[in-house]
Amino acid sequence: MNPLNLLSLEWKRFSPNTTFRIVALLYIGAFALVVYLAHLIGGSLNINNNGQSFNPTADLFTYPKNWELLAYIGSWVNATLLGFLGVFMTTLEFSNKTLRQSIIFGLTRFELALSKVLAALALALFATLIYLIIGMSSTILSHASPGFSLPPLTCLLGFFLQAFGFLLLGMMTALLIRQTALATLTYLAYVLFVEMVCRWIFYLSVAKTRLLLFLPDSALQSLTPLPVPQSAQQMITSNAALLPLSTLESGLAALLYLSLFIAILYQRLTKTDL
Amino acid sequence: MPVLHVQHLTKQYGSLAALNDLDLIVEAGQVFGLLGPNGSGKTTLLASILDVIRPSSGTYTWFDGKAGSHVRRRIGALLETPNFYPYLNADQNLSIVAGIKNVPQTSFDSLLELVQLKDRRRSTFKTYSLGMKQRLALAACLIGDPDVLILDEPTNGLDPEGMIQIRKIILEIASRGKTILLASHILDEVEKICSHVAIIKNGKRLASGAVGSILSDLPTVEISAAQADMEKLLNLVTATTWIKKLQRNGTKLTMELNAGHLPRELNQLAFENGITLDHLVSKTRSLEVEFLEITKS
Repeated sequence: MNPLNLLSLEWKRFSPNTTFRIVALLYIGAFALVVYLAHLIGGSLNINNNGQSFNPTADLFTYPKNWELLAYIGSWVNATLLGFLGVFMTTLEFSNKTLRQSIIFGLTRFELALSKVLAALALALFATLIYLIIGMSSTILSHASPGFSLPPLTCLLGFFLQAFGFLLLGMMTALLIRQTALATLTYLAYVLFVEMVCRWIFYLSVAKTRLLLFLPDSALQSLTPLPVPQSAQQMITSNAALLPLSTLESGLAALLYLSLFIAILYQRLTKTDL
Repeated sequence: MPVLHVQHLTKQYGSLAALNDLDLIVEAGQVFGLLGPNGSGKTTLLASILDVIRPSSGTYTWFDGKAGSHVRRRIGALLETPNFYPYLNADQNLSIVAGIKNVPQTSFDSLLELVQLKDRRRSTFKTYSLGMKQRLALAACLIGDPDVLILDEPTNGLDPEGMIQIRKIILEIASRGKTILLASHILDEVEKICSHVAIIKNGKRLASGAVGSILSDLPTVEISAAQADMEKLLNLVTATTWIKKLQRNGTKLTMELNAGHLPRELNQLAFENGITLDHLVSKTRSLEVEFLEITKS
């Protein structure tokens, strides 16, 4: 079947769903609200140093760090709301037995897997579009704005890969667990604290290695790192083990995880009983 | 041409064999009943041939393997309970099915009329009664005018009126020459609808063939006489070599006659021995009796 037809089927399935609509609106609202608050708080920060008043975060609101900051803020809505949407869309199909029904009606298992990957891809594009719209609005409207600008390609691509990655991670979790509540809890716990806690325990008690930053959540988060103000740059780079992943490292790790998630999704949808 | 050819199909769940080396052939135009008690493997068989579950071993072929990769678009199937998106209405759900089957998104008027859901087409699926859900599932099965219909317990949970409606629809579809594969544990249903039947138990096929060939040709005969003659009658039939499976049920004797013997010979035999029968009924064995006989072992 034509990929566009598969995508159109996914749209027919989910667009009328109330939870789907609410989460999509919440994504836009939460993203815009946090960006607004960041601008509000960041703009009003002032430190007095030897009688001279300065804003230590001022350069975060200038190009290109303004886009990096926006992508970093977006990474939290991607990890929570977008990932949850991936879990929800998949477990909804399990609880209504509609995955199985689609096969019964004639969809091949390959088409079923493809339609889920395409849905994640379309939602990741939608998220990236929201990132662009909010970013351009904020560069135009913000008091600290350097004026209209487009995001650097690394930011745009990183944001897209991250959104795609969290959606696939959510879908994969749902395919492995199948129950809505349990899958949602597992997914959110993993991206919000489980991996972070494990990483710190390992870091503090076993080995101080940068390899821990290659774990799935860290690698995806590294695609849109927190831009570091000039004032804090020295502090961060003094410890090699704390050095964030480079753009190339995080990009390659993310591509590897995306391939792995797609492979697991394909395996679960094509090789197991539905 | 066989529409479906199942060979040595086995599905293991741990040590339990839900399907055990099962063979089956369904020819075009047959209304084929899969008969078996609950848990006999009927749904597992249907789920396997619809690619919903993966068989442990064995193969199946649709349309002699000549239908290409989208063979299941030529099949309309209802497996267990009807599964649709609860927040979508009948039209929206049918539109998704039409999309999957890659058929034009025309109006579903005639289908909804056939299953008597035209008035509720704008109501969401979750507001439907079980009978309405079952009827919507039948409408979905018919989208794209499939060559084969697979119906798993289509009247399950329905009230008598709903059962009659569904059976009427199935018979109406069968009259168009479609092949229908119907799984049921309701013997009466299979006997009324099906031309052929396979009896399954513990994942094994115990018997299969035309319904007529599964039913025994030998009639069961029930007789009785005046109370005073009953002992004499019992001794007489016990001594007769062409009578078998003799049973006494209160004031009546039931038995089977060997091939080539007719019930009137029994009347004649009694009369010649001075006994006048006051009751003689010849019954063809029902599928229920045959089913119990076959699955007893």
